[in-house]
Amino acid sequence: MIDVRGLTKTIRNGSRVVEILKGIDLTVPRGQFLAIMGASGSGKSTLLGLMAGLDAPTEGEVLIDGAEISRLPEDKLAQVRGRKIGFVFQSYQLIPTLTALENVLLPYELNANGDGKQRAITLLETVGLADRLHHYPIQLSGGEQQRVALARAFVLQPPIVMADEPTGNLDSKNGQHVLDLLTERQREAKTTLVMVTHDQQIADRADRRIVVKDGRIIADENNGQ
Amino acid sequence: MDSDQKSPLGWTTAAKIASRELHASRTKFVFVILSVAIGVAALTGVRGFSESFQKALLDQARSIMAADISAQMFRILTPQENAKIDALASSKSVERTWVTEMVSMASRQGDPVPLLVSLKVVDPAVYPCYGKIILHPAGDLRGALTDSTVVVDDNLLVRLHTNIGDQLRIGGQYFRIAAVIEKEPDRLTAGVGMGPRVMMTRGAVEKTGLLEAGSRATERYLFKLGPQSGKVQGIRAELEKILPEAQISDFRETSPAITEGLDHATGLLSLICLVAMVLGAIGVAMAMRAHLQQRIDTLAIMKSIGARSSDILRIYLFQTLLLGLAGSVFGLVLGVGVEWALPSLFGKLLPLHPPLRLPLGAVLAAFGTGILTTLLFCLPPLLDVRKIRPSVVLRKTVEGDAEKPSWSTRLRENKAQWISSIVVLLALGAIAAGLADSALVGKWFTAALAGTLAVVLALSTFTLRTLRAFLNKTRLHLHSALRHGLANLYRPGNQSAAVLAALGVGVMLILSVFLMQHAIVNRMNSDSTTGAPNIFLIDIGQNELAGVKELLAHQVGVNGKVETIPIVTARITAVDGVNAASLKLKNYPRRMLSSVPVTWADAVPEGVKMLQGKWWQTGHADGLAVVDRVAHRLNLHPGSVIEFQSGEEQIRARVAVIYKPEGEHAFARSEFIFPSGPLQGLPVVWYATVHVQPVQIPTLERALFAAYPTVTVINVADILETVEGVIHQITLVIRFLAGFSILSGAVILASSVASTRLRRIREVVVLKTLGATRNRVASVFSIEFALLGLLAGVVGVLFANLLTAVLLRKMDVPYHPEVVTSILSVIATAVLAVVTGWLACFRILGQKPLEVLREE
Ligand SMILES: Nc1ncnc2c1ncn2[C@@H]1O[C@H](COP(=O)(O)OP(=O)(O)OP(=O)(O)O)[C@@H](O)[C@H]1O
Ligand SMILES: [Mg+2]
Repeated sequence: MIDVRGLTKTIRNGSRVVEILKGIDLTVPRGQFLAIMGASGSGKSTLLGLMAGLDAPTEGEVLIDGAEISRLPEDKLAQVRGRKIGFVFQSYQLIPTLTALENVLLPYELNANGDGKQRAITLLETVGLADRLHHYPIQLSGGEQQRVALARAFVLQPPIVMADEPTGNLDSKNGQHVLDLLTERQREAKTTLVMVTHDQQIADRADRRIVVKDGRIIADENNGQ
Repeated sequence: MDSDQKSPLGWTTAAKIASRELHASRTKFVFVILSVAIGVAALTGVRGFSESFQKALLDQARSIMAADISAQMFRILTPQENAKIDALASSKSVERTWVTEMVSMASRQGDPVPLLVSLKVVDPAVYPCYGKIILHPAGDLRGALTDSTVVVDDNLLVRLHTNIGDQLRIGGQYFRIAAVIEKEPDRLTAGVGMGPRVMMTRGAVEKTGLLEAGSRATERYLFKLGPQSGKVQGIRAELEKILPEAQISDFRETSPAITEGLDHATGLLSLICLVAMVLGAIGVAMAMRAHLQQRIDTLAIMKSIGARSSDILRIYLFQTLLLGLAGSVFGLVLGVGVEWALPSLFGKLLPLHPPLRLPLGAVLAAFGTGILTTLLFCLPPLLDVRKIRPSVVLRKTVEGDAEKPSWSTRLRENKAQWISSIVVLLALGAIAAGLADSALVGKWFTAALAGTLAVVLALSTFTLRTLRAFLNKTRLHLHSALRHGLANLYRPGNQSAAVLAALGVGVMLILSVFLMQHAIVNRMNSDSTTGAPNIFLIDIGQNELAGVKELLAHQVGVNGKVETIPIVTARITAVDGVNAASLKLKNYPRRMLSSVPVTWADAVPEGVKMLQGKWWQTGHADGLAVVDRVAHRLNLHPGSVIEFQSGEEQIRARVAVIYKPEGEHAFARSEFIFPSGPLQGLPVVWYATVHVQPVQIPTLERALFAAYPTVTVINVADILETVEGVIHQITLVIRFLAGFSILSGAVILASSVASTRLRRIREVVVLKTLGATRNRVASVFSIEFALLGLLAGVVGVLFANLLTAVLLRKMDVPYHPEVVTSILSVIATAVLAVVTGWLACFRILGQKPLEVLREE
């Protein structure tokens, strides 16, 4: 469960102070698929980043499973992220010097003990990359890279997955494929999924949809079945 | 594209774009500027120092010589010569004085352990003609130096534990130490003496009996011109006529030996600096290539809106020029520091410390070389911009392994590259030739440097490939941080092979110097610890010989045989009927013909290995043995007839034997061996060599000095110590300058790290997002840098050992691999690489993981 209370973020840009988030309150229950929508520059990525502890808020707090994370020291925060949150980004963000399998193994090696190799291979197989295990990111297409990123996000079976426009760089067919895999995994593992998207159709598939504008939530609706 | 359309991009626009881009990528270009600056600094320092030194020599030329003209000989003037010079002196109102220099022994009263000293006999009424002897307590040489006093070096007081006012025993006589010499104007011309200076009058030395005929002494006749004397050249020419065998020099050229030595040293040291400069230029070229690669998109856009290759070339040429300029200027500033540091590195080797200044010649040489090498090496990557197609704009991704065109097409496509590479090599050769002042040296230097670089680069590539194969085999078995660090060596844009090669060459250079020095010094010391002779006795008179042998035979600690050799000094007047003045000589100074030491032996002595001919049977045979080295230089063969003169005696001898010296024997140092007959009755001195247990040497010296005060004892250990000191000092300077190459290598590493900064930032934030702690990220990068350093260290150490082994073999010095030093060097290189790597990117560790959400 993610709890966001009175979250604000201001950025000092030279002498100018920019208020990006102007007070966000939001609770995401366990297992929910939440879509965040809004115009470009409205503050979606910033919100996602704060929820994931990638940055510290100016005011307010973020609680994950009841524990406050926004004021933790850097390394502690990294550990929380590593264990609890998986990430998928618009531009994949694979490590170019590591193979697909190694990229998927990375969260395991950074955060867990034991051998995650079998699990990583299985995951890569389920995303259809059984024969690309030892390829480098540069040798994969965009869709394939994003599927590797997907496997990486789920390898530790995190309770939460955050995705920032995961299909933004892909054509509709590949985008659809990635999206299907993502929601399938989410449903299977009962993962909380927070996804930023511009795509109304994708948002329609979510359990809940919020719209951000000028740093505030201006709409929050559940998708009735 | 329309070629006669006016270029849309003038020089001013190009300059504007160039400097804007420079400003935008400042961090990256800081390292480029440093790359240039390092070589320029080293070169400025060396040449600036050399020029300042030369100028200081010239400024003080008369006092350095203590005269206007000096004539140096190994014998005293004949009465006829003396009369001629007297006539010249009085007719042209030239003042003259006579200085004799030789080694001898001296001891303090009461404690008869003698010390080797370099004696200088002067006439205090006239000497020095220029400059001033500064004494302590302050006073005039004329007042201090009488026939019963001496003035000495400070060092002598220390070594003999004595004081001003004490009595000094020289040649069996006592002299009072009147003062300490603080400055002796012509010490430089006298050369590096073997012991501390003792100065005395001719009257004093005549009391000692040290100046027996045949003693090794150097005579210098000094001349001071008066207002009526006319030009220096005139007097000099007349003196050359009167004394054809003398080495005559005048103040305008100071000491030819020094100037020549200085020129050679400057050339050599400049080339060492040039290595640093070439490495720096390679670094600049690599940075430029990486920079252009990152700007391919922009360049393609520019091309698609009508910019031509030449316009773009102009921008980057301008940029390179600016960078070269900035680097050179910065280098000049640093160079002043180098010039300032050099004298203290040379230490006592320097007879005078020139004032710090920045001579124009040095500035021009360093500045020009800096800019020229930078431009030259950047030519190939710059020419690459012509290959960029505007269509890149449409294809977003750059294909990694596009289909490779065939060799021949590539060769054709890269014609400009080939040509420019050849131009670079030729120009580099010309620069090297200019710096070393020798076309031959320039050619060899360039060939050697290019060859070394190519081989080291190939070796580096090979090492990296091997490592990668290993990595691919073992990937998942390796610890993940290690695997990641290793994999990072192959990060796109890393240019690991080039970095490795550059760093490796630096390590190689500095380690080779060290290994050479070590091997040579070890060899010298090992010679002295075996049973080889470690004591030389010189100037033993004929009547003293039996006594000295007797004394040695009964002395404790003398083990092994006492070898003796008689020496008669003679001059060669003709060879095969050709006059000495017109002989063809190879590497043999003509004036040496006037004083050759000759000896005799009626059977083949120890230390002589015959190469050609047959030894004579009786002492009155006609025969002569010549050592191969001299035979080669004088072009002598069995059957050649040499005419000698010793005193008034003429000796004709036919060469019967050519021999080679062998081992550590007295005769191994001889050059001409006669049958005993022809030399009978000539003034002879004996030399002896013997091995003495080192602890017993002082006892022996004491006993010998008590009984035979005019016999000089030379302890090889003392000489070795001096030579070792000199070698140490010289290699210190060379290592210091070679250090600049390492610095260049390090800057190249830093620059490569800086140019992959964006990629590294990405990586840091992704890793942090995935839960990596700061420590983990730091260790991945540290492993990458350390591996690079280790590999460079290994490559450099391998090459250094190889080079040393080859060079030492040429010098006949045994080579032993120095394992500990080699391992330490590898580790040191790794440490250097880690420190450098982090210096170039330490701030990126603090990147916030949030950056991961910002698209590039
Ligand atoms: N580090 C920063 N410095 C200055 N401005 C910033 C910074 N980070 C974010 N902003 C500004 O904050 C606003 C919100 O940014 P954010 O990335 O959250 O938008 P977004 O909703 O994700 O937009 P997009 O749909 O285009 O990704 C933007 O106007 C952006 O310019
Ligand atoms: Mg965004």
